[in-house]
Amino acid sequence: MRIDAMGINHYYGSEQVLKGVTLSLKSGGFVAIIGESGSGKTTLLSILSTLLHPTEGSVTFEGKGLDQWGNIDTFRRHNIGFVFQFHYLIAHLTVRENVALSALDTTTVDPLLQQLGIARLAHRYSDEISGGERQRSAIARALVNSPSVVFADEPTGNLDTKNALAVYELFKTFSAQGRGFVVASHDKRIAEYADTIIQMEDGHIVKISQ
Amino acid sequence: MITPLKALRKNRFKTALIFTSMTVSIAAIFLISAIANGVVGMYSAMLKTDGDIIVTQKGISDTFFSDINASLVTPIQHLHGVKHVGALILGAAPVEPLPIVGIYGVSENRFKRYTLMQGSYPKAGEALVGSKLYETLHHPKTILLSQKTFAISGVFKSAIGFEDGGVVIPLSEGGDLFHKSASIFLITLTDLGQSDRILTEINALSPHIEAKTTDAFINAYNQFKIIQTSSDVIGAMAFLMGILGIVSMMSMVVNDRKSEFGIMRSLGLSPTFIIKRLLAETLIIAVVAFVVALGASWGILDVIEHTNKFQGYIDGEITWALGIKVFVVSLVMAMVGTLLPALYAARIDPMTLIQKGGA
Repeated sequence: MRIDAMGINHYYGSEQVLKGVTLSLKSGGFVAIIGESGSGKTTLLSILSTLLHPTEGSVTFEGKGLDQWGNIDTFRRHNIGFVFQFHYLIAHLTVRENVALSALDTTTVDPLLQQLGIARLAHRYSDEISGGERQRSAIARALVNSPSVVFADEPTGNLDTKNALAVYELFKTFSAQGRGFVVASHDKRIAEYADTIIQMEDGHIVKISQ
Repeated sequence: MITPLKALRKNRFKTALIFTSMTVSIAAIFLISAIANGVVGMYSAMLKTDGDIIVTQKGISDTFFSDINASLVTPIQHLHGVKHVGALILGAAPVEPLPIVGIYGVSENRFKRYTLMQGSYPKAGEALVGSKLYETLHHPKTILLSQKTFAISGVFKSAIGFEDGGVVIPLSEGGDLFHKSASIFLITLTDLGQSDRILTEINALSPHIEAKTTDAFINAYNQFKIIQTSSDVIGAMAFLMGILGIVSMMSMVVNDRKSEFGIMRSLGLSPTFIIKRLLAETLIIAVVAFVVALGASWGILDVIEHTNKFQGYIDGEITWALGIKVFVVSLVMAMVGTLLPALYAARIDPMTLIQKGGA
C-alpha cells in the first residue's frame, strides 16, 4: 500500500514534535525510521499508521484519505498490523487465541504460527513463554489478516540481542514476500536489515537512504 | 462464551466482588418482593376463601378498623343467589411472650373451614389456636387474650400463616374483646354472574356498609398498595445499589485491562466488539448470581418461615412470575451497570499503548 504524508505538523500542547514532514512510502519493503529519543519518529509512525491524527497536513493511503476508506476499524483490520514495544498479549488468552482475536479467517492462524516457529506454544499463555516468544506471537497477531503494511514501534526495545536480531530477520523475511514494514527504532542495528532508512532529528526528516 | 469465562477467571478477585455485589442485590430484591407477595397473598387468600363478596364498614382504610352490624347477616342470607354468609371480627393482641397475635372472631357457620388437628371447635369462653401458635406457646391449656383467659378447645391447621399463627374465637367473644359486632362479612354466591345485582341489594340494606367483590376489594385495598409500593421502593434501591456496585467494579476492571482494549482497537476490532465482550462477562456473572441469589432467598425464606419468633406471619412466596421478573431485572442490572465502563473501554485510544511503551 502506498502511503503519502504531506506537510505534517504535529503538536503536543505548545510543543511542536513534527515540523512539515512530507514523505512517500511505496508498497512493500522494510522501512526503518531512526532517530534519537524525542526526534519525532514514534509520532510520525503513529500518524502514518492511523493511530494519531496530525495537527496539520494529510496522510493518504493509495491516494485516498482515511475518510474515503469508510470505517477506520475495518480499514485497520484489513490493511494494517501493529507491533508495539511491549507485546500486549492478552493474559487470559493463549497464544493461538491472541493471534486469532482479530483474524478475518481463522484457518490462517495455525500456518502462520508454524511459519513463525511458535506452533508448539499455541496453547500456552503469555506468562508461560519467553520475551522473544511473546514478541513473535505479537508479530503473528499483526500478520494474521495479511495486512499491506505492518507498523512497529521499538519492537525490540525489551528484547536481548539474539531475540532482537531474530525479530529483524522475521521482518526482512516477510518483507521479501511482499509485506510492507515500517519500524521506528533507535537501535542502529536495524540499518543492516532495512531497505530504506529514514533518519529523523528534531521533528524533521534529515536523510532518507536506500 | 469461553473467552469471557477466561477473562472472568483471570480476574478472579474482581469477578468475585462483582458477583457478590450482584448476588446481594438480587437476593434483596427477591426477599423484599417475596415477603410482600407472601403478606398480600396470605391476607388475600384468607379473604377469598368462602368469599366472593366482602362487606365492610363504608369508607374504612383497613379491615381491622371496620365495624358493621352482625344482624345484617340475616337479610343478606335471604337474598336470592346468596349461598353462605360468614361474619368475622379481625383483631390482634399481644400474647405473652409474643408482641402480637391475630385474633379472629368467627361466626359458627365458618368454623368448618379451620381443619381440626385435635380437640373441638370453640364454645363461649374457649379458643381454637393455630398449630404454629400452639407450638410456639409450647402446647398451652389456656390463652390470655386482652385480659380474658380462654380455655383452648382445640388446635387447627391452616396453610395461611396469619391464621396458623393466630387464634379463632366465637364471634360474640370477639365482639366483647374488640367492642364491635363484626368487622366484615364474607359471602359466597351460588352464581357469580349475579354478583352485580347482589352487591346493589346488599349496599341498599344500610348506608354504613360497603359491599364489593373480593377481587375488587383486594385490588383496591390500601394496605396492599402500601406494602407493594414499599416493596417496590426497597427493590428499586437494591437495584440501584447493584448497578452502582457493578459500575464501580467494572470501571476498575476496565482500568486494569486498558492495554487489552487498546490492543483490540489497534487491531481494528470495533467498539461494539469490546462492549459486547464486557457485556458477555457481566451477563455470565448475572446469571450465576441470579441462581445463587434464588437459592439463598429460598433458604432464608425457609428459615424465616420456620422461625417461631415470626409465628409463620412472614411466609415469602417466590412465584414463577417473580422469578422471571427478577431474572430480567438481573440482566438489566448487569447491562446498565456495564454500559458506562464498556463505553469507556471502547473509546480507549491505542496511542496509550505507544505512550506506555515509551519513545
